[in-house]
Amino acid sequence: MTKQNAPRGNHPVLLALLVGLLAGFGGLARASVATTKPPLRPITVNLQDKSALQNGALYTLHMCVACHSLQGVRYSSLPKMLGMNRVEFEKVIGTNGKHYHDTITSTMPPAIINAFVKILPPDLTDIARRRSPAWLYTYLTSFYVDPSRPSGVNNTVRYNVAMPDVFAPMQGLQKPVMVQGLRFGSPAQVAIGVKPLTQGSMTQAQFDRTARDIVYFLYAVAHPHQQERARLGPWIIGLFLVLSVLTFLIYKLYWRRVITGEERWWRVGK
Amino acid sequence: MNSSKQSRARRVFGWFDDRLPISSLWRSQLTRYPAPKNFNLWYFFGSLAMLVLVLQLATGLFLAIHYQPNPHLAYWSVLRGIQRDSRWGWLIRDMHIVGASAFFLLVYLHMYRGIMYGSYKKPRELLWLVGIFIYLALAAEAFLGYLLPWGQMSYWGSAVVTNFVTAVPVIGKPIATWLRGSFVVGLPTLNRFFVFHVFLMPVLLLALVLVHMIALHHVGSNNPDGVEIHENVNESGWPRDGIPFHPYYTVKDLFGVSVFFVVFFWFVFYNPGGWGLLLDKLNYTPANILHTPADIHPLWFFLPFYAMLRGVPDKLYGIMAFGGSFALLACLPLLDRNPVRSIRYRSVLYKIDILMMAFSFLWLGLIAHGFATEHNMVYGLHVTEVFYSTFLLLPFFNRERSTRAKVIWLVAAEAVVWLIDLWMYSIHAHGWDLMLLTDWIPTLYLLLLFGLAIGFPALTRDAQKLPERLTAGGIFH
Ligand code: HEC
Ligand code: HEM
Repeated sequence: MTKQNAPRGNHPVLLALLVGLLAGFGGLARASVATTKPPLRPITVNLQDKSALQNGALYTLHMCVACHSLQGVRYSSLPKMLGMNRVEFEKVIGTNGKHYHDTITSTMPPAIINAFVKILPPDLTDIARRRSPAWLYTYLTSFYVDPSRPSGVNNTVRYNVAMPDVFAPMQGLQKPVMVQGLRFGSPAQVAIGVKPLTQGSMTQAQFDRTARDIVYFLYAVAHPHQQERARLGPWIIGLFLVLSVLTFLIYKLYWRRVITGEERWWRVGK
Repeated sequence: MNSSKQSRARRVFGWFDDRLPISSLWRSQLTRYPAPKNFNLWYFFGSLAMLVLVLQLATGLFLAIHYQPNPHLAYWSVLRGIQRDSRWGWLIRDMHIVGASAFFLLVYLHMYRGIMYGSYKKPRELLWLVGIFIYLALAAEAFLGYLLPWGQMSYWGSAVVTNFVTAVPVIGKPIATWLRGSFVVGLPTLNRFFVFHVFLMPVLLLALVLVHMIALHHVGSNNPDGVEIHENVNESGWPRDGIPFHPYYTVKDLFGVSVFFVVFFWFVFYNPGGWGLLLDKLNYTPANILHTPADIHPLWFFLPFYAMLRGVPDKLYGIMAFGGSFALLACLPLLDRNPVRSIRYRSVLYKIDILMMAFSFLWLGLIAHGFATEHNMVYGLHVTEVFYSTFLLLPFFNRERSTRAKVIWLVAAEAVVWLIDLWMYSIHAHGWDLMLLTDWIPTLYLLLLFGLAIGFPALTRDAQKLPERLTAGGIFH
């Protein structure tokens, strides 16, 4: 059979059709339980900004750890990440009275937290793996006054959150920007942003910077091997790229004998 | 050259070779094992699957050393003990996670290759059947391993699946209780899943893969042309279109391995969670027995089966739809009895049917990726019907049919689909409105296929002449 009329295994047109159809039907399957989502505030995490990381650590280990744990890390793994030595770390940030090698558990007894907020606060190392930096940044800056909630506040990205607005003294209170939208498919008033209501101890820019530092820190804690990944990855991938080229050349070299029909191994008797 | 040294080495080797069939196996299985000369891209996946199997065993060994099979310790033993406290633990774990998904991707491609080139046909039926058992063992292995980190999705995924088992009449409840070691997923479940995952299933998989290889080397490989190389031999009895596996396919597979590792390590280093597909984001939350997640999902490789399970809201029928898909795969050699093996020489409509098989499978996956709305469940039901028909219509292509036969096939197939829908309606599975809205999917597929078959009989005609020798090879051919 000649090459032209040999049927081929690949059918580019059919395959392209398949991919196109799948993309279309994928949309069909997803568009189901719509909820109006507020826009997220953009943020680019900079793990080299050590003073931001230190500031974030300071706030996180003193404010948030009252309720939340960070069980993914030990205090002893922080100094290197923050660009400090152990002595500096213990002096500036400290270990909340725990041992240096302890994991970071919440400083309030669970019973008290339970009585206070009813829901056990999630571990922040887990949350920061699950949520994007932009989501966290928006979450931390978007508490608003909502008298219908037991805590008196609500949050634009985390509707009916049980966490109280721990930032009120710094940021001041905020009021929601409401629009008519959808919540789980039914029409509802949805908060898509916040506006200042009262003045706190910080200016808006200062507070945003603080929230940003906390996000940096949480991200760093939740993604501990970013630097090893960035250092090792290119080498390993580069190695296999080079090997791909080499093995391809070797393959071509060996297979020349097959293509030209020179391969004569089969002349040997069975 | 130091000849006395060389001869000593040869003597030592000879001592072993006299007592173990080293060189004879090397020759019969590698350097003088004839393989067709036209393997393409699709023939990489078997050897790559073997590579990943070894990778999973090696990384799994190190994970098991640090892992604690106890609900109080499991989660943090993985997320802190392995990922942070032990050196390179993060790399080992991410390789194991990415490896699991790679395994399924490779095996799915491997199976689809077998379907395209008719590799399940005589004399490879048992090779194929062993493959199906490998798939089942692999699925069990993945399911068992998923519970171990004791995250939210681990826990609730296992709860949902073991709960489904209870729906099987008579034996379902005892089996589920035995599987869990209790009436709910808990400590005994975690203990036995751990043992099954690190001991029972790996041993079973290795044994099955060994049988797979023995069967393969007994009957020889099929190839993209589907032409038996052993039927055309030279004076000394060697297939004219065969080449020794080593060195030709070893160098080709080494190229495949290198390219595979580029992709594999890109995921390991830069995207270990794979956009939440390789590792569900909800698994970054420890299991909470009091809090059922709103949306319980398996990982991507089980999604199509999950859509089948969900499409039929009655648990027992759901299990039947799900199990039936494996039965269909196992029965392929019985369904497709056309003497032409390779899709290259089959009719246009057969090609469309085989493409539709892959398409409906992917579509089912997309549906199960969405929320469990009634809308998605009904879609799931109807796309399952399409998936099933792509198999059940195979006998239609066994030979050319008269127009009357085509009409009878069409009417019968549509009747079956509509009877199933009526039945689903009668057990109050879904409302008529939604059913009617999506019934076009199987109806249209059957109408189109048979309409074309009736209108253009040439589209059902296989190639009249098969090539006598293999057509040119090459990776992309
Ligand atoms: C008074 C106790 C308390 C303090 C202090 C506190 N939180 Fe929370 N936080 C909670 C509770 C309770 C929840 C759970 C909310 C829910 O599930 O509705 C929560 C939830 C969260 C979430 C997760 C939201 C989600 O759904 O993913 C984040 C992120 C978070 N807190 C960050 C912080 C940060 C950062 C700080 C420190 C600035 C902090 N919290 C301080 C009690 C607290
Ligand atoms: C652990 C998983 C598996 C491994 C390691 C494995 C390994 C292999 C290898 C190395 C080959 C020869 C190379 C090749 O043809 O690509 C092969 C061939 C084959 N495998 Fe598998 N396999 C696995 C799973 C399966 C499954 C799930 C099926 C089908 C249900 C299957 C069916 C076949 C068939 C039919 C062939 C012969 C193909 C041909 O000659 O055209 N295998 N397998």
